[in-house]
Amino acid sequence: MANYGMLIDTKKCIGCYACRTACQRQNDLLPDEAFIRFEEREIGTYPNVRVQHVPLQCMHCENAPCVDVCPTGAARYGTDGIVEVDQGRCIGCLYCVAACPYQVRVRNSETGAVDKCRFCTVNALNGTKTCTCVEACLTGCRIFGDLDDPDSEISKAIAETGAAPIAGDLTKAKIYYVR
Amino acid sequence: MTFEPIWGSIIAWYLFLAGLGGGAYVSVTFLRWRHPEAITMIRIGRFIAPIVVIVGLCLLMLDATAGFHHPLRFALLLSNFGSVMTWGVVFLGVFVVIALIGAGLCLAKRSVPMWLDILGAIFGICVAVYTGCLLGVCKTFPLWNNALLPILFLVSAMSTGMAAVLAVGVFRCPEEFNRVMAFKKLHYIFPIIEIVLVAALLFVTAFNASPSGYESVMSLVCGKHALVFWLVFVIIGLVLPTAIETWLLFFTSEEYERGKTAHIASFCSNAGVLIGGFVLRLLVLVAAMPIVLVTPWY
Repeated sequence: MANYGMLIDTKKCIGCYACRTACQRQNDLLPDEAFIRFEEREIGTYPNVRVQHVPLQCMHCENAPCVDVCPTGAARYGTDGIVEVDQGRCIGCLYCVAACPYQVRVRNSETGAVDKCRFCTVNALNGTKTCTCVEACLTGCRIFGDLDDPDSEISKAIAETGAAPIAGDLTKAKIYYVR
Repeated sequence: MTFEPIWGSIIAWYLFLAGLGGGAYVSVTFLRWRHPEAITMIRIGRFIAPIVVIVGLCLLMLDATAGFHHPLRFALLLSNFGSVMTWGVVFLGVFVVIALIGAGLCLAKRSVPMWLDILGAIFGICVAVYTGCLLGVCKTFPLWNNALLPILFLVSAMSTGMAAVLAVGVFRCPEEFNRVMAFKKLHYIFPIIEIVLVAALLFVTAFNASPSGYESVMSLVCGKHALVFWLVFVIIGLVLPTAIETWLLFFTSEEYERGKTAHIASFCSNAGVLIGGFVLRLLVLVAAMPIVLVTPWY
C-alpha cells in the first residue's frame, strides 16, 4: 500500500492559478468551487521584498480532524490513506469544514454536499490521461508520489529541500511545502 | 483571503433554541420540586421545551442542504460515535421524546411521573452542554477549542430556559410568578456566573498559542463586533437583567414586587436574558478566527 503525498515548491510558484483551473476541469467542478486556495503574503524586508504564493488544498492528514467529526461517515480514509468524501452520505452540516484547520473544504452550491481535493493525480500513475494540478503547473512546482518509498522522486525532493508541512505538526499532513 | 464564518445566524438560532429547550425542562423539574403549586408555570415550561427544540432542529435540517435534499441521509447521523454531533443527535432525540411525552401527558390532564421529569432535566443538561462541545472540539478556532465554552453555553442555556418560562409566566399567571421566589433567586445567579465565564473565556482565548485567539477576542471587545458585544450582549443581556433583578429582589418592598411596574421590569429583564443568549451564540460563531490563516505565516 502506497502512502501518497505531494510536494509544492512555493519558490517556483508564480501564482498563475493554472493548477486550480486544471483541477476544476479534471474534476468537473462548478465555477465557484475550487479545491485549491491561494494565500499570498509579502516576505523579506524593504526594499528586498517579494510576494510568496502558497496554494493550499486538502492535506490528506493521517489523523484527519474532518474524519473524526463527520457524524455520517461521509468523510473517511480511502485506499492508500487518501481522505475521501462520500457524496452520497454527506448531509452538508459543515462540521468537517469547521474542523479542518486548513480551511480547504468547500460546499458544492448545487448539491449542498462538501467536497475537496481527491488526489486525482493517483489515477495518472496507471497511465490514465488526466489534467491534474501536477501536470498543469507551468513551473513544475508540484511533485506527487509515494512518501513511504525512499527512492521516489518526492521522497528525494523532500530530503533535498527540507520541505515540511505548512503548519508544522498541527496534523500529520501529507502535503509538503518548500518555502 | 478574508475569512467568512462557516456557520451563521441559522446555526446560532439552533444552538440558542436547543439550549433554551433544555433549560426550560430543567425549570419544569426545579419548579415541580420547590414550587409544586405553580401548576401553570410548570405547564408553560412543558410546552416551551419541545416546541423550541423542534423548531431548532428544523432550522438545523434546513441548513444542512445536502441532507435537506435527501432526508434519508439523516439516518446516517448515527454512524460515527466518535463525533460530538452523533452524540448530540442521541441527546436531542431522547430529549425531544421525553419532552413530547411530558407535554402530551400534560395536555391529557394526566400526571407526569417524577422520574420522567428528572430524566428530562438530565437530558436537557446534556443537550445544553452538547451545543458547547460541538464547537469546543474544533481545534481550528481558539475561541471555541477550550473547556470553558460548554460550561458557558450550559449556564446561558439554563438562564435563557428559565427566562423564557418567567417571561411567559409573568403575564399568564402573575400570582404564581409572585410566589416562585426560590426559582427567581436561582435564575438571578446565572447571568452573574455568565459574566465571570465570558471574562475568563476572553482572557484565556486572547493568550492562546495562536494569534488568531487574540484576533477573535479583539474583534469582540474593540473590533467589528464590539458594538453588538458591549451594547446587546453585555449591557442588555447581562448587566441590565442583573441590575433589575438585584433591585427587585433586594431593594424593593414585597408589595412593590407584586405590582404591575415590577412585573414589567421583570419581563424586560428576562427579555434581555433571551436576547443576550441568542447574541452570545451568534457572536461566538462569527467572531471565531481560524488558526490556518495565521499559523503558516509564523
